[in-house]
Amino acid sequence: MIRALYSAASGMTAQQLNIDNIANNLANANTAGYKTRRAQFQDLLYQNVVTPGSSAGQSTIIPSGLQLGLGTRASSNEIIFTQGSFSSTGNPLDLVIQGNGFFQIQQASGTTAYTRAGSFQLNATGTLVTANGNPLQPQITIPPTAQSITIATDGTVTYTLTGQIQAQNAGQITLANFQNPAGLNSIGQSLYLPTDASGDATIGTPGGTEGLGTLQQGYVEESNVSVVDEFINLITSQRAYEANSKVVKAADEMYQQVNNLKQ
Amino acid sequence: MDSISISAASGMRARMESLELLANNLANVETGGYKADREFYSLYSSLDATADPLTGEITTLPVIEKHWTDFSQGDFHATGNQLDFAIDGGGLFGINTPRGVRYTRNGNFRIGTGGALTAADGSPVRALGGGQIVLQPGVAVEVLPDGSVQQGGVVSGQMELVSFDPATFNKAGVNYYAAAPGATAKPGTGTVVQGKLESSNVGAAESAVRLVAILRQFEMLQKAMLIGNDLNRAAIQEVAKVT
Repeated sequence: MIRALYSAASGMTAQQLNIDNIANNLANANTAGYKTRRAQFQDLLYQNVVTPGSSAGQSTIIPSGLQLGLGTRASSNEIIFTQGSFSSTGNPLDLVIQGNGFFQIQQASGTTAYTRAGSFQLNATGTLVTANGNPLQPQITIPPTAQSITIATDGTVTYTLTGQIQAQNAGQITLANFQNPAGLNSIGQSLYLPTDASGDATIGTPGGTEGLGTLQQGYVEESNVSVVDEFINLITSQRAYEANSKVVKAADEMYQQVNNLKQ
Repeated sequence: MDSISISAASGMRARMESLELLANNLANVETGGYKADREFYSLYSSLDATADPLTGEITTLPVIEKHWTDFSQGDFHATGNQLDFAIDGGGLFGINTPRGVRYTRNGNFRIGTGGALTAADGSPVRALGGGQIVLQPGVAVEVLPDGSVQQGGVVSGQMELVSFDPATFNKAGVNYYAAAPGATAKPGTGTVVQGKLESSNVGAAESAVRLVAILRQFEMLQKAMLIGNDLNRAAIQEVAKVT
């Protein structure tokens, strides 16, 4: 009977975590480059009340026993790396990756982080940086006299100077890819760090054979959060929470009746 | 105790176990690939029970001696993830876990270190014959209904789909089933569907009805027990009264 109470409690805890996850997805519905996360659950251990295969008599054995499960727990909330939709901004430094790649960002600590959010800006020295001021790797520097900046689908960055027809090459943007992107570690600010589970980054140029995808200039990638799906998840999760709380109540009522047996 | 109290107590205990099964089902209402457990009431008669000389009936008590797992299909929900798989029909995916081969209906797979297709806990998915399925990074994965995994038209392996006689395998926790020793695996009859996951087959509405039913049956048995107690009390206090 206590098992029923704890199983239901584990169900309520799991649904609470599910709602935490849904809340974060919805909060980031408008975060460019955000990838939705999906909570996954698994059942817990089973208690053998009657072990299958034990003998029921001298000549008979019990074909299937009685196993009582002990509830559920959240196993993971994996990142779903489906492509988000593109919205046009007209800003020449807004980039989207049409494919599986990641931009490489050098953090203040010197380590490289990876992101899908490609809204870049120029800093005081003309270097391409993220909104937080961390430079894109490999570094691209545009002189202040540059007129138009063009980033080709293969990552080549060119600009023209006033009065010149010839385009100047500013560098080449490269992208990274991982064996298992779902194993990346989110560190906030739309950045990811590689882990043992994700594997090391494979670097390549956009449009190459590594499946990194191509770049599109003048667009940002919206989050891939489906608000409708999240609301449906929210409803089912809330109802599941409610159902588990009803079991707690039922178990409590049954206890009460047992206690009332002694008058 | 008299027979009313014994029968009622036995029934109450059985309903408590029913509630425990139901609590576990409802706790796993969002667990992918979970299959609901149902109770199986049976009658217990002790080995040395003798038939009633008047009616010829053997004294029996209601107990839950075993449960059965409802393997009916759960609903599919589309996830858009190319590494999510569901089985339409009978069968289970084989997984090579460190504790031996386990089976699951939860096809929430991913790519592990070294490129192997793995279950959520990192254990590799079994290919036909027991090996692994190794994938190339960054290349779209396409899975045919028979479980063959293709990348760019090249077959990387075929997922193993097996089925068992329900009596010969049991739940092992963490979404796995373990086969009993000596159980024979048959090829699964279902087809693999890519980009979808199978939800738990626990029906919320049906479970609510079961919950009410268990609660009311328990209440009735409790009343029966109280009546038995009243009869006993009357027998002790009234019948044996010396006037």
